[in-house]
Amino acid sequence: MVEFSGEIGSFKAKVHRKARYVDASKCTACGACAEKCPTKVPNEFNFGLNDRKAIYKDYAQGIPSVYTIDPNHCRVFQGKKCGVCAKQCQAGAIDYEQKDSYVDLEVAAVIVATGYDLFDATRIPEYGYGRFPNVISSLEMERLLSAGGPTAGHLARPSVVKGEARLKELPKLIAKAEKDEKTDAASALNKERKWLEEHVHKYPTAKKLGFIQCVGSRDFRFHKYCSNYCCMHSIKEAIIARDHEPETESYIFYMDLRTVGKGFEEYKIRGAKVSGLKYVRGRVAEVLQDEELNPVVYFEDTEQRCVRSMTLDMVILANACSASKGIVTVAELLGIALDENNFVKTHPNKPLDTSVPGIFTCGCAQGPLDIPESVAQASSAAARAAEVVMTGGRALAV
Amino acid sequence: MASNEVLIIGGGIAGMQAALDLGDMGITVHLVEKNPSIGGKMAQLDKTFPTNDCTI
Ligand SMILES: Cc1cc2nc3c(=O)[nH]c(=O)nc-3n(C[C@H](O)[C@H](O)[C@H](O)COP(=O)(O)OP(=O)(O)OC[C@H]3O[C@@H](n4cnc5c(N)ncnc54)[C@H](O)[C@@H]3O)c2cc1C
Ligand code: SF4
Ligand code: SF4
Repeated sequence: MVEFSGEIGSFKAKVHRKARYVDASKCTACGACAEKCPTKVPNEFNFGLNDRKAIYKDYAQGIPSVYTIDPNHCRVFQGKKCGVCAKQCQAGAIDYEQKDSYVDLEVAAVIVATGYDLFDATRIPEYGYGRFPNVISSLEMERLLSAGGPTAGHLARPSVVKGEARLKELPKLIAKAEKDEKTDAASALNKERKWLEEHVHKYPTAKKLGFIQCVGSRDFRFHKYCSNYCCMHSIKEAIIARDHEPETESYIFYMDLRTVGKGFEEYKIRGAKVSGLKYVRGRVAEVLQDEELNPVVYFEDTEQRCVRSMTLDMVILANACSASKGIVTVAELLGIALDENNFVKTHPNKPLDTSVPGIFTCGCAQGPLDIPESVAQASSAAARAAEVVMTGGRALAV
Repeated sequence: MASNEVLIIGGGIAGMQAALDLGDMGITVHLVEKNPSIGGKMAQLDKTFPTNDCTI
């Protein structure tokens, strides 16, 4: 959205529609274009754990079911020759000339449902995220567990996934260094290759997992608040990991396990009884890495009253629910207030009403919520918006 | 003149649910999403607690 004005019952908005360079009315989403596209790009939907093409869909079931060209990587937009996708497309949907457009809307009410962003765990350097390949975020874990994900649901250690990719590109790099007579570089690359060949496949599957809770939440350096859903998603991920591989052992390092919701406490108990999860009460101080790329967790065990360490195959961080980065711009355009954490400001008695009449909010834009709560709020926000439409805003304007 | 349409910014599970509800009431909805597909974070999840159902 680029412009916004007006008041309840008659707001005016100008929306920027980005070009897809594919005609949505013609594309049948057959995927012939992407199959032949020569340009590989790290797939952000899977956090770079695999590649996608320059013409792509986020995920197979994605809606709308239309491919999109990424002009930052497509050869045609980089001034090179290509046009392969246009030749492949039987429907004639590819249109390199498509332009961005603007749509003018007149609406009675607005619902802000911009959601959240995952807390950036590199802000806690002592956990090693970004430095150690086998320390991953909660969402990366979801992609690794997913049958539609980069490993088809096999819980491969990221060091193996990345190591294999590196092993594939190393011969080319070594040949090039040798051709250019860069002997130092070539021997360093050869050494790396030898190490990877010996080590990468030693621990192909992650079987001993550590989940670190409250990463960026309930932490006075970052977010003071509790992110609401992360205790539950860590338990869930540990249960699913065990379903995939019965030898999996999981340790959940927590301050309190907050399982508030219908059926949630029972889920936690089932996790321990049926899936053998071990709940360890204590905050993790630091994560280090041994020479086999295994994360080593140092933590205070408050039940045993001692400081302990544990070597694991993989560590999964329960990243906090942070306000979405784009919300500040959206709030300025709409003229709505944000709270001290940059979630949309609401009153406890009117949890869906923003500071501007006729503009409502729901889901994680308003604060950390799980799916059942987000959906409940969404239906309420829809009802509030419908009230405005049906009364022309009179009911709420007073 | 008063409009009878609604604008929803964000096509995650919350935005989609609100759009479906309004659609069912016969109200025209404009759903604005910055990514090529709707679904938000939920599309990236494997299964969901507390039932372990598949997401999308
Ligand atoms: C690892 C993990 C696992 C989880 N597992 C579960 C679970 O099992 N069960 C459960 O109940 N909950 C779970 N959750 C919580 C769940 O993700 C949220 O409750 C839910 O996704 C919130 O939906 P939302 O629509 O509010 O936000 P989002 O999913 O964040 O959607 C927001 C949408 O708005 C779009 N957007 C943002 N800004 C703009 C803008 N300026 N213009 C246009 N569009 C914009 C975004 O692209 C996105 O599509 C989990 C969370 C995590 C991190
Ligand atoms: S024109 Fe661009 S998107 Fe199409 S095949 Fe070539 S690189 Fe891929
Ligand atoms: S839900 Fe659990 S992990 Fe998440 S912030 Fe709250 S207590 Fe910490």
